[in-house]
Amino acid sequence: MVDWVNLAIPFAYLGVVVGSLYTFSYLYRKRQAAHAASLAPWFDPHLQRNIYLSLLHLDPPEGTPKVPDGVLRAALLRRATEDIHRIVAVRNAKQALTTLLQRGSVGDELWQRFQRAEKEVEEEIRDVVNEANAFSPNWGQSIFQSANEMANNAIVRKRTEELQAQVPKEKEWWAKKLAGIQSDFMKELDEESGAKKATAAVPVSAVGSKGSDDDTVLVEAGGPTASQQGGGKKKKKGKH
Amino acid sequence: MDSSDTFTLLPLHLDPATKAISYQGTPTTALTTELTALNDLHRSLLTLDTPNGIPPPPVPVNPKRTAQINKLRESGNDALRKGKPADALGLYTLALKMAAQRPPWEPAGLVREELAQLYGNRAQAYMAGQGWAEGAVDAKCSVELKKVGNAKAWWRRGRCLVEMGRLEEAREWVGEGLEFEAGEQDLVGLLKEVEVLIEKRKTWSG
Repeated sequence: MVDWVNLAIPFAYLGVVVGSLYTFSYLYRKRQAAHAASLAPWFDPHLQRNIYLSLLHLDPPEGTPKVPDGVLRAALLRRATEDIHRIVAVRNAKQALTTLLQRGSVGDELWQRFQRAEKEVEEEIRDVVNEANAFSPNWGQSIFQSANEMANNAIVRKRTEELQAQVPKEKEWWAKKLAGIQSDFMKELDEESGAKKATAAVPVSAVGSKGSDDDTVLVEAGGPTASQQGGGKKKKKGKH
Repeated sequence: MDSSDTFTLLPLHLDPATKAISYQGTPTTALTTELTALNDLHRSLLTLDTPNGIPPPPVPVNPKRTAQINKLRESGNDALRKGKPADALGLYTLALKMAAQRPPWEPAGLVREELAQLYGNRAQAYMAGQGWAEGAVDAKCSVELKKVGNAKAWWRRGRCLVEMGRLEEAREWVGEGLEFEAGEQDLVGLLKEVEVLIEKRKTWSG
C-alpha cells in the first residue's frame, strides 16, 4: 500500500524548488531585458529612415497625386547611404571594443549596447535590400554599391570644398603681404638713393638686416631665378 | 535608432508641382540639410535614362563625361604650353566643375583621381601667372585627394610657399612629401633650396 501522504511531501518540495527557480529566472530575465532596452542607443535616430517611412505613409489630401516613386527611390538611396556610415562605424568599433572588453577596460553595458546596434544595422540592411528589390528587381544587389560610392563622394567633395574655401583668405593674406613688401622696398630704395649707394647687391643686405623684411629679399631675389626654374619644370611637368 | 518595426512619423509635405519635399513646422538643421540633399538627389535621379529610374551600378562608368573632362584637360595643357596661363586656368576650372558634377553614385575613386590631377594642373596654371596663394591651395587639394604618386603637386605647393616666403612651412611640407615620395629628385632639390634660403635668412637677421 502506498503512503500517499508521505509521498506527497517530496513532490511538494520539488514543486516549491522548481517553482521558485523558475520565478527567479523569469524575473531576472525580464529585468535584464528592461535594462538592456533602457540603455542609450548607440546611434542617433535614423533620420533618413524616418523620412523614407514617413514618405511611404504620407497620405496626400484628396485630389493631389501620391508621392512619386522617384522621390521614394531617392529617399531609399539616402537611407542606404546613411546605413553605409553606420556599417563602417560598427566595423571600426568592433575590433577596438573587443580588445577593450577582453582587457576589462570597458563595462559589459557598452558591449550590450554595441551588440544591439550591430543587430539593428543588420536588420536595417536587410530591410533596405527588400525595399530596393520591391522598386526594381535586382536593385538590392547594387543599391549598397551605389550608396557606398555616394558616401565616399560626399567625403571627397566636402574636403575639397573646405580646402577651396581657404582661397579668399590666403589670397588676402598674400595681397597684404605683397603690398607690405613693396612699400618697404620702396622705402629702402628711397633711403638708399638718398645715400647714393644703390648698387644691386646692397639693397639685399640692407633689407635683410631687419627681421620682418627677410621675405622681401627672398621674393625679390628669388623671383626671377625661381620663375626660370618654374618655367623649366613646367615644360617637363605640364604633360599628363 | 528606432527598433525595426517602429519609426517616427515626420510631418512632411510634397509640393505637387515640383515634387519637392518640405517639412511642416520648424525643422532642425540636420533635417533641413537632409531634405535639401534628398531633393537634389531626386533631381539628379530624374536625369537618368535607365529603366525603372534606378542608378546603375558604379561600374562600368559612362564614358561620355570622362572623355569631355579629358578633352578639356588636354586643351588646358596645350594652352599652358603655349604660354597662355589665363586660358589654361579657365579650361581647368571648367573641367573641375565637370568632374565635381559627376553623379554621386559614380565611383568615388575615379572622382578622386580626376580632381587630384585637375587641381594639380590648375595649381600649375596659377603658378605660371604668379598666383602663388591660389596655386598653394590647389596643390594642397590635389595632395589631399591623392597623397601617393603625386610628387608634382607636393612640389608645386612647396614652390608656392617658397615664393610667398613661408620657408618654415615649405620645409615641413616638402619633408612630409618626401615621406610619401621617397627619393623624388625634384622634392629633394626643393628641400635643399629651402634649407639654403632658411640658412641665408638666419645669417641676415643674425
